[in-house]
Amino acid sequence: MKKDDFISGLQEELEIETTLETTTNLKDLEEWDSMAAMLLIGYVSNEFAVTLNADSIKNITTVESLIEMIGLDKFN
Amino acid sequence: MGAIIKAIEYIYPNNKITNTDLSNQFPDYDFTKFEEKVGIKNRYWVDENETALDLAIKACEKLFLRFSKDAIDYVLYCTQSPEYVLPTTACILQDKLGLSKNIGALDFNLGCSGYTYGISLAKALINSNQAKNILLVTSETYSKYLHPLDRSNRAIFGDAATATLISFDKKEGVGEFLFGTDGSGYDKLIVKNGGSKFSYNPNAEEISYGTNNIYTDNHLYMDGPEVFNFTNEVIPNFTKEVLHKNNLNVEDISQFVFHQANAFMLNFMRKRLKASKENFFVDLEDGGNTVSCTIPIALKKYSQSILDESSVIIVGFGVGLSWSGGLIKINNKL
Repeated sequence: MKKDDFISGLQEELEIETTLETTTNLKDLEEWDSMAAMLLIGYVSNEFAVTLNADSIKNITTVESLIEMIGLDKFN
Repeated sequence: MGAIIKAIEYIYPNNKITNTDLSNQFPDYDFTKFEEKVGIKNRYWVDENETALDLAIKACEKLFLRFSKDAIDYVLYCTQSPEYVLPTTACILQDKLGLSKNIGALDFNLGCSGYTYGISLAKALINSNQAKNILLVTSETYSKYLHPLDRSNRAIFGDAATATLISFDKKEGVGEFLFGTDGSGYDKLIVKNGGSKFSYNPNAEEISYGTNNIYTDNHLYMDGPEVFNFTNEVIPNFTKEVLHKNNLNVEDISQFVFHQANAFMLNFMRKRLKASKENFFVDLEDGGNTVSCTIPIALKKYSQSILDESSVIIVGFGVGLSWSGGLIKINNKL
């Protein structure tokens, strides 16, 4: 998947109103809460068959950190 | 010859908590998105002096307006909110309901997988000629275990009780059931203190988790992401195994009635199962997640719309971690 497509999909799934950048810290977003974490887990599981557990969720900071967690090899 | 589900009744406590009530308690949180995604508008919680047994009695009495209590020869009582550490709550229920003394009665401690276990146990008791009319009761008051500042779990869990009559019949109305257990996830949904390992601690430390939720080890703790992942990874395939065991395909099923945990999660699993919206029950608006009570409540609601025999797959999953499911046939309004 292209990084840009991933980011716009992420924005849509999490219903984020501001524009997401790779440098955006997800935890700083007004929309970030346990609901958003659930939507994120669902999105990543569907798109990449990758499971984000409680520890991964805790460790996420920026969008780039999420991409690294999913695996850079999954992006082109 | 076999067992059939004859009737179901359920009851909620009087105290209704709307999302507006929760917004007043947690003014910094917007419950709009929660309502849309998780699908819960209100839940009911018992008052301080009301217990799961009180709710169970009411649900059973509602059932006995339709069926004679004298025929009951076995009580299966599913709860994680027992009246006492001992004795068994089912014994007190026998007395309070004025049931015969010549009956079997036991509690079993399961949460969201409890009802499906109960149906399977009832079938086994009937088909082994040990009982003919089984009263299966689920009753839960998780509200008593929730920390006042645990916003997420307060939004999800509600209290309720249900009473189901399962009887001997010429036809078999309960199909094959399967089970799953993974105790390595015991601490993903837990009330740690108050059992025999750790006693209740009046000075338990407040722990913050998730997004500004608070609990102590005296209270209920749920690792949301882990429970969500477990469910999505295990339950769709498990459901396919249940179908296979019953020699059925997804298209043969009139309705899938899963434990009503969370609307987003249910739809997520529905898509993995490739079941259509019409054939997959999702309704948590009124009552929320009532643990072992959600499936019988859903069956009661669903059965109001059926016109002929309906093949229903029921699947329960959660605390333990524990899951179970099977096929039932319904041909009347429960």
